[in-house]
Amino acid sequence: MLSFMLKRIAQLIPVFIGATLLVYFLVFATPGNPIDALSGGKPMSDATRAALEAQYNLDKPFWVQYGLYLKNLVTFDLGTSFSGQEVSALLGRAFPVTARLAILALLIESVFGIIFGVIAGMRKGKWFDSTILVASLIVIAVPTFVLGFVLQFVVGVKLDLVKPTVSGAATWGELFLPALVLGLVSLAYVVRLTRTSVIENKSADFVRTATAKGLSRRRVITVHILRNSLIPVVTFLGADLGSLMGGAIVTEGIFNVPGVGHLLYQAIQKGETPTVVAVVGVLVIVFVVANLVVDMLYALLDPRIRYA
Amino acid sequence: MPENQNFNPEDGLQISTPRAGKVSKYKIEHFVAPLEETPLQAVDSVKETGKPLSMWAEAWRSLRKQPLFIISAILILAVIVVAAFPHLFTSIDPNGQNACQLENSNEPGRPGHFMGFNLQGCDVYARVIYGTRASLLVGVFTTLIVVIVGGALGALAGFYGGWIDAILARLGDIFFALPLILGAIIVMQLPAFREHRSVWTVIVTLAIFGWPQLARITRGAVIEARDADYVKASRALGLSRFKSLVKHVLPNSLAPIIVVATVNLGVYIVAEATLSFLGVGLPGEVMSWGNDISLAQQQLRSNPMMLMWPALFLSVTVLSFIMLGDAVRDALDPKARKGA
Repeated sequence: MLSFMLKRIAQLIPVFIGATLLVYFLVFATPGNPIDALSGGKPMSDATRAALEAQYNLDKPFWVQYGLYLKNLVTFDLGTSFSGQEVSALLGRAFPVTARLAILALLIESVFGIIFGVIAGMRKGKWFDSTILVASLIVIAVPTFVLGFVLQFVVGVKLDLVKPTVSGAATWGELFLPALVLGLVSLAYVVRLTRTSVIENKSADFVRTATAKGLSRRRVITVHILRNSLIPVVTFLGADLGSLMGGAIVTEGIFNVPGVGHLLYQAIQKGETPTVVAVVGVLVIVFVVANLVVDMLYALLDPRIRYA
Repeated sequence: MPENQNFNPEDGLQISTPRAGKVSKYKIEHFVAPLEETPLQAVDSVKETGKPLSMWAEAWRSLRKQPLFIISAILILAVIVVAAFPHLFTSIDPNGQNACQLENSNEPGRPGHFMGFNLQGCDVYARVIYGTRASLLVGVFTTLIVVIVGGALGALAGFYGGWIDAILARLGDIFFALPLILGAIIVMQLPAFREHRSVWTVIVTLAIFGWPQLARITRGAVIEARDADYVKASRALGLSRFKSLVKHVLPNSLAPIIVVATVNLGVYIVAEATLSFLGVGLPGEVMSWGNDISLAQQQLRSNPMMLMWPALFLSVTVLSFIMLGDAVRDALDPKARKGA
């Protein structure tokens, strides 16, 4: 298990370097000299420009810039944004908000997704199953931002059940609606995945054995069917954490959540290389670590998979 | 197990005893009718005239009976016709001189303009109809590029393995670590893309981040097919490796590619709308569902229907592609068909 983990972590390094390099290259090649953006398009003396370019390493060749950036990233010195704030401080404020949002979304989609999926799978072809299938298709087809606006308008404005936008504090209660919107599409996928998996497993030999030896229906479902059906679902959930963090850019915009997506969008608009690459770097780390955790979970769910 | 109750293992022995060796001692009893008495050929015969149904013909046969397929196919045909000939569905040309009258700003629907007007006083229905083309173009061409590039790379990686496979797997991992929308926002900010923003730049951007998924699917399908007997046979008959890949392996790996491509067509349409909504997709003057939704969002509280109409068209189009993908998957998967 330990050597497997070390091997997996070693595999993460090229992915991490590749992804940050890709983003760094893209942002480096983005139009508009970032210094111009800093001055708001006003003319500035050559000496000031040179000093600013030197401060942000923009005068050095691309590879040197990237090398310096990577060195700083490893030492958790993420540089300063053009407005003079530490990127690590900006990220430190925004990241917990998005993390809360993503965790809440992940919780909603896994709890409701698995429950609905199991019920639908056990009652294949009945009305609950058909309703779930149709509803999940509709949720998948409607874009997240439309869903967000509709729910914000109906639940937040018309029915006045929750506040339509999130305050700076971004409490768990305030984040429930944005998290629901963020997780709804994935919820639909989780339901369908669980349902398919349950249908496949419920006619398996070990389930018949479990029933034949007199286990209660509840135990057969929760221990024998569910545990064996969870592997594809867990894979999906692990990979989904990354896309939730990325998808937050839309949801955070709609509900005015002061999170990473918000920060990232503004940084891209301003051409702030350090902030963009730092934020994307963190997102990449979250994504690959989530995949690593999924690999570990396999062993817990399915003892047949052993890591030599 | 009622079928087994009549079975007595002794029976088998009794039958075999007279037949094995002691035939001359006993009167010959025929436990099995002699070959010439019963035309066994007739019993076991398979119709050899007529071509056997291919997987595709069989899939088509089961598809034709599926209501899901019929509904989604009709919807998709309708969307294609609307995209190709928008003037057939509305007499108002939203690009025309007098298309938008400010006096109609935010007016609700009335006869002849049942969806009402937007802030600029343009007819919402005409804009929705004319906006179909941009969304469909993005969906279709992104899918085409992704299938060609991702399919080719995935097939090469799966078929040849070795270093091509290793490089492609790493490259795929790197692209997978960047979510589609995130990567697309960054690429759309590049000078070459920002200054020539059009349907085509959006297509290329989405394709850049879309191909690894299809490459992975194709790779898996090709690996499954490459060791099959018919591929070995084709090689034994002297076909080159590359030719056996193109003529035998690829046609037999198409099913999952078609399914994923169909579903993704809808996903790309949503991605285009999301990018346009964020202000980094199609330029504002291009009429598209994403742009219209983005414009409508500012007046969501005063005129919510302005957002609902393009959103409805967008959702129904995406839904029909997803349903088509679902129907095709069911038809191409013999395991699923048996259960139905």
